[in-house]
Amino acid sequence: MERSHIGELEELVLLSVGSLLDEAYAVSILKVIKEHTKRSLDVTAIHSVLRRLEKKGLVTSKMGGATATRGGRRKKFFSLTQEGRRVLDDIMEVRTALYNKLPKITLIIPNI
Amino acid sequence: MSHSPPKWADRFLEWFCHPDLLEDLQGDLYELYEEKAASGHPRQARLFFVWWVLRSLRWDVIKKTRLQNFGTMTRNNFKIAARVLWRDKFNTLLNIAGLAIGLTCFLLMGSYFRQEMTYDQFHSKKDQIYRVWLKEDYGGDKVFFNSITPLKFESVLEEDFPEVDKSIQIALNPYLVGQTPNRINESVGIISPDLFEVFDFPVTQGNATTPLPDQNSLILSESYAEKYFGSSNPIGQSLLIQMGEEEREFTVTAVFKNLPKTSSIQFDMAISNANNQRLYSERALNAWFNVSVETYILLKDQTNIESAEAKVQDVVMSYLGDEVQRGEYQIGFQPLTDIHLNPDIPAGLAPVGNPSYVYILGLIGLIVLITAGVNYATLSIGQSLRRRKEVGIRKVMGAMKSSLVGQYLAESWLVTFIALLISLGLAYSILPIFNSLTQADIELTFQPWQLLFYLGLVLIVGFLAGIYPALILSGLKISNILSGHKAPKRAFYIRKSMVVFQFVITVFLITSTLIMRKQLNYLNSKDLGYEYETTVSVPLYPDPSSQRLTEFINSAMENGKLLREQLKKYPEVSDIGMGTHVFGSNGWGQLSYTDDEQTFRQFRFLAVDPHYFNTFEIKMKEGRAFEPDSPLDERESIIINQAAANYFGLEDPIGKKLPGSGFGQHRIIGVTDNFNYASLHTAVEPLIITQNIMPIYEGISDHGYQDSPIPKLVFRYKGQQLSKVNDILEPEWAQIFPAEELNFAFVEENIQAQYENEQRMNRLVSFATILSIIVASLGLLGMTVLMINSRVREIGIRKVMGASEVSIFKLLAGSFAPQLLIGIALSIPLTYWLMKGWLDNFAYRISMGVDLFLLSGIISVIIALAVISFRVLKAARVNPVESIKSE
Repeated sequence: MERSHIGELEELVLLSVGSLLDEAYAVSILKVIKEHTKRSLDVTAIHSVLRRLEKKGLVTSKMGGATATRGGRRKKFFSLTQEGRRVLDDIMEVRTALYNKLPKITLIIPNI
Repeated sequence: MSHSPPKWADRFLEWFCHPDLLEDLQGDLYELYEEKAASGHPRQARLFFVWWVLRSLRWDVIKKTRLQNFGTMTRNNFKIAARVLWRDKFNTLLNIAGLAIGLTCFLLMGSYFRQEMTYDQFHSKKDQIYRVWLKEDYGGDKVFFNSITPLKFESVLEEDFPEVDKSIQIALNPYLVGQTPNRINESVGIISPDLFEVFDFPVTQGNATTPLPDQNSLILSESYAEKYFGSSNPIGQSLLIQMGEEEREFTVTAVFKNLPKTSSIQFDMAISNANNQRLYSERALNAWFNVSVETYILLKDQTNIESAEAKVQDVVMSYLGDEVQRGEYQIGFQPLTDIHLNPDIPAGLAPVGNPSYVYILGLIGLIVLITAGVNYATLSIGQSLRRRKEVGIRKVMGAMKSSLVGQYLAESWLVTFIALLISLGLAYSILPIFNSLTQADIELTFQPWQLLFYLGLVLIVGFLAGIYPALILSGLKISNILSGHKAPKRAFYIRKSMVVFQFVITVFLITSTLIMRKQLNYLNSKDLGYEYETTVSVPLYPDPSSQRLTEFINSAMENGKLLREQLKKYPEVSDIGMGTHVFGSNGWGQLSYTDDEQTFRQFRFLAVDPHYFNTFEIKMKEGRAFEPDSPLDERESIIINQAAANYFGLEDPIGKKLPGSGFGQHRIIGVTDNFNYASLHTAVEPLIITQNIMPIYEGISDHGYQDSPIPKLVFRYKGQQLSKVNDILEPEWAQIFPAEELNFAFVEENIQAQYENEQRMNRLVSFATILSIIVASLGLLGMTVLMINSRVREIGIRKVMGASEVSIFKLLAGSFAPQLLIGIALSIPLTYWLMKGWLDNFAYRISMGVDLFLLSGIISVIIALAVISFRVLKAARVNPVESIKSE
């Protein structure tokens, strides 16, 4: 791919941003990822990934309204850019194409 | 929020975080924190919060201006520091020189300390290795405590103690090695072949897994491989060793790296103890009361020494139940790393260091460094008076206290850093001199971790030396400074007490050096009760076929007689005698028996020929010495020393016998003075001297020899050149002992070598003393200059008013007098206490007279006066016009 390479965690975060629509901010992303992958991440890692994605132009952010909880601090909401969407599409395409080439005989996968 | 996240962490986050990123990051952390706190783990939540804050500390989050500010300020601080130091070159030089010398002393003494403290620490299994000791305790004086153990211990420990993984035997025996006529008397290790599995001694050539496969294999250290085989490959080469009558051929199977200096186990050549069967009699191999080797054990993992210790008595009773009572025959285990510096357990094959010497020397190194630090602090405070205006202006310009402290600390770090660089250079370059002077044998090796150590040293020393002046300076009130008020009184007193502290240390070191010197001179000049100047001692060789001690001694004496006849023709050689022991070596034969009244008796034993008394001019107190050519004397006469007469309670000993029924036919013919045959660390012990050892040996139950009882030939050399002794001995020796190596020594040198430890300590302390005097002098010089500078106008006015140069000098020099006197006074109890401890090591010692304290007081006053005069004289001479018009 000519476009920016993104890592596995970046891909996960990017997907979460897309799937959360208007509710994508660091804590909600953290929870979505936790829910789907059972991976226990650190919120600071999410922040760091989001900053990287924003720099690469795959997401944009805007500050939300004032809140009563969280010490009155505003949330920063993220949304996918077109470029971000394209990157996700490309990734999916590559994966599906490769996946379809797997032999059709299902292997017996040992318990992990 | 009922519980709030830790304030400091929050504030820290706000401090470092870039403001654009702060709000939502902080908000997210709050949100997660609240969630965690609400789930009932408030404490955990706080911990997590701190963790998250720390985790947020990433490069792209940090507010760059913070870093820049920090960097700029630091750079600025150091730049200003450099300028200040450059401006005041004289003081800077004094400060740097003082600290550099203090650090040099610290580095050298510290290396010595470290070397002594890290003996045997390099073995990876060091915590599981123990040396075995044996203590036979039959009550009263009848105690035999040894780190040398019976041969049998190796197998007993391995078989009867499940905790023991391996037990290792080490013996060092002297053998003649090599081809006739170039044989060398070497100390050959006889070791368990699996020694290398227990100790970390790397094998560099040959078979590393089984370096000693059989009886005929021999291993060499790298330096010995070179000594015997040069650059050719030593593996597979053969070497002859004379063992008893037999000359056996050994094959070199491995070469090991030279054993480190800091190892208590030392050998350069070793064979397997599979040879024991051939070296020792069946009786010796199974003996329980005959010690000859060191035994080490390696514990199995997951076992501890206590469980082995608990089994000792059961094991002992199973073997020796018929012979000893429970508890009389004790076997103990000493940790390997404890061997070098534990004087409570007798030395085995390696000598034991004196821990208090090591601690004292380490402490002195530290103290000299502290003195140098104090020096710096005193001088900076003094100089600071001149920098009060600078502080005032800085404060007016809005400098905070912390930034001022930073500024002054930067200065002291810079000074310390430069001083450390100099002292490293100094330490490395004077190391050879230091080693040869002190025989401390230090190695300075560079290792990467030392960089960190040096950095830490700079930070700590710089901080400690600089923090006090920094606080004093930065704490000045602007109003006071600008209105020209005096410096606070408190700082003045602290400064004075720092000067006193320096004097205390310096005077203490001077006095200690003097006391040690005096004691050592006393040791070397004390009348020992015999003459030993230009006396030569030549170890003889017994007939190789000798089996028992009596045969060893008698056959060597016979050989000695041949040599004596040959030597008689030289006019430079006179008073030739022979004896089993010679002065200057400790551990003469110790014999013991139980007398008729069931009292356990111990005495030292010396067998001589009738001329021995002449050689050393030993004086008789009562009776007579042995008469040459008297068969009666040769057979049964004995001579005792005064200590023995007292010990055995013999009122009028001439013609009497020793109290004991077992002895053979013998008769006391004379009593000698209590001459000091052992070193002056110990009082004179009872001594019995005979020509024929049999009558005495018949009556004793135990004997022990730390000094070899193989007879030595002794004679007085009257020639001018001592180097000629070899020329005389060599040809005669070759005729009688064609196969043996000639060794001889001057008795005087051996006697002096007994005080080697103390000599070394003295030299090390002298070294520290000189450095400390230099540091203190530099400090005093700096103080003098400061004082003069602040009183320039006063001096000028006084001179105008008619004060003479002498009275000005008195006034200025006198201002240090009280501190110096207090320093001298305070050093007395410190010196007395420490030196008393040192002198207690000697049975014969000087009294710490007033004279030495007085002398060191005078020396310090003279040094101080000299240092002060250097500048004061100049100040007193200055034309008042010059001084008053200034400012």
